[in-house]
Amino acid sequence: TADIISTVEFNYSGDLLATGDKGGRVVIFQREQENKIRPHSRGEYNVYSTFQSHEPEFDYLKSLEIEEKINKIRWLPQQNAAHFLLSTNDKTIKLWKISERDKRAEGYNLKDEDGRLRDPFRITALRVPILKPMDLMVEASPRRIFANAHTYHINSISVNSDHETYLSADDLRINLWHLEITDRSFNIVDIKPANMEELTEVITAAEFHPHQCNVLVYSSSKGTIRLCDMRSSALCDRHSKFFEEPEDPSSRSFFSEIISSISDVKFSHSGRYMMTRDYLSVKVWDLNMESRPVETHQVHEYLRSKLCSLYENDCIFDKFECCWNGSDSAVMTGSYNNFFRMFDRSTRRDVTLEASRESSKPRASLKPRKVCAGGKRKKDEISVDSLDFNKKILHTAWHPVDNVIAVAATNNLYIFQDKAN
Amino acid sequence: MEVQKEAQRIMTLSVWKMYHSRMQRGGLRLHRSLQLSLVMRSARELYLSAKVEAQEPEVPLPPSESPDPRLHPRREAETAAEAAPPDGEQPSPEPMDTQEEAPGAEETPGRVARPPAKVSRKRRSSSLSDGGDAGLVPSKKARLEEEEEKEASSEVPDRLQPPPTQAEGAFPNLARVLQRRFSGLLNCSPAAPPTPPPACEAVPACRPADSMLNVLVRAVVAF
Repeated sequence: TADIISTVEFNYSGDLLATGDKGGRVVIFQREQENKIRPHSRGEYNVYSTFQSHEPEFDYLKSLEIEEKINKIRWLPQQNAAHFLLSTNDKTIKLWKISERDKRAEGYNLKDEDGRLRDPFRITALRVPILKPMDLMVEASPRRIFANAHTYHINSISVNSDHETYLSADDLRINLWHLEITDRSFNIVDIKPANMEELTEVITAAEFHPHQCNVLVYSSSKGTIRLCDMRSSALCDRHSKFFEEPEDPSSRSFFSEIISSISDVKFSHSGRYMMTRDYLSVKVWDLNMESRPVETHQVHEYLRSKLCSLYENDCIFDKFECCWNGSDSAVMTGSYNNFFRMFDRSTRRDVTLEASRESSKPRASLKPRKVCAGGKRKKDEISVDSLDFNKKILHTAWHPVDNVIAVAATNNLYIFQDKAN
Repeated sequence: MEVQKEAQRIMTLSVWKMYHSRMQRGGLRLHRSLQLSLVMRSARELYLSAKVEAQEPEVPLPPSESPDPRLHPRREAETAAEAAPPDGEQPSPEPMDTQEEAPGAEETPGRVARPPAKVSRKRRSSSLSDGGDAGLVPSKKARLEEEEEKEASSEVPDRLQPPPTQAEGAFPNLARVLQRRFSGLLNCSPAAPPTPPPACEAVPACRPADSMLNVLVRAVVAF
């Protein structure tokens, strides 16, 4: 189970794809460049680097084990030849530098090729070391460790558009960090009640606006989203905007409260919209309209009548993520039975696809799937009762520019491309 | 009746889930605990309203319900919350915000909830028994059981007799564990009503399932 993928993220150019897993490892894939010798390999992602980001730790004060599972990875924009990413577990965020080494210096004066120091008396001439090519080596080194700032479990990290700061959010607090400073963070949101007995909601996700470095949003377990402006006050306990859709009384059920909990929030690339994922649907919000979303897409409405069973098997607590495509014209999210769903916002069409070995021969097209909610099951349809709830797609990512998607199905990563590429 | 049974089943299931969530690696998850307590609360409301409907209008609500609303909403969030003093004691000031802390110091709920040993010893016997905050503070199992034995020895109350099978359902062991663990809670919690909950005294008038319900509710609260 240590191989279960827990997060997937493309970098800003889309050339690198990082995955984190339950065992605390990060695996980075790199896209192959166009290659005349192997024309089909263009666009393939191959393993570029693997490293152990987090180890299990023990909090002696609380007698608690701290899981090494990577909750989130976020890339920093590239500023030089090296790549930087932030990875976090429940308590500690780390900044990793991934750099390539493809040259080695040879011809040192003071030491031999094998590193042994040369006898000074034998050095009779002076030479300039020469850089010789070597097999590409990709090294990952931890550059910063941001620890001890979260009492509760970290659920989100988000790099600011200023490229200098980032936020980390746990169940009750959001902290602002400077990438260079590890011993201090500023608490900007704190929803912990004075009396914990009055706790009614927790923070479930948070993100910085893609362009406005003073704006952030955070979602709650009650299905609401708050937009905060850091210019208005140091502590953003008072929101600037409050997004909530009034509950539909006809759909009220025993589990209504918990399925309205938002599991992910993502700004569109344009910064004009944001998308939220709750248990059964994906909603697109216009930042200028707080009263209700502008679009609601049903992911697996057929599960609404099965909520009790989903509570019993704990699936009702699954936290699905969602993502935008590069042009914000489509959104994608996962479901059960290794199904994932894509919604085209302009054509209003949606499709269900499956990430599995059987249905994904290399270079074959994915066949759209359909779940039969009730009544007569047509050929090729799958009935709700035969869905495998252990095969869940919680993490998906979309290339920032091209139609390439990465889908994590438990411990397998699937990468799909548009044929037009 | 079906509704009642279903609601009770969901409550039992929720308690079981809460109990098990403590054993998870990484400790008690606040969001999950909150969600479980929300379902517990809905199930309980459903159960109680179904019971009211099922009863004849002349018979008043069993007095067992009166302490519960006081206990339950007050303590409910504790099922989801870190350990916090339930009684009138002034909580020690919360550790300073992150930015003011010395490097390496961690804000811990443990600091709030664990004053000097002898005071905490007294408090341990309240709803903050090891059940709920084992995920947050070091376990004091041995000491708690000592206390329970001391205090509850001669008093194994009739009200806490093993519940009938219908209420035990699928988790007879859990029911016994809950009885044993939280008999101390019911006996000596400083924040509990000064007199034992009337339901437990009014044995003839109260259905056995109710006392189990109360134990379960208190167990959840203690988490």
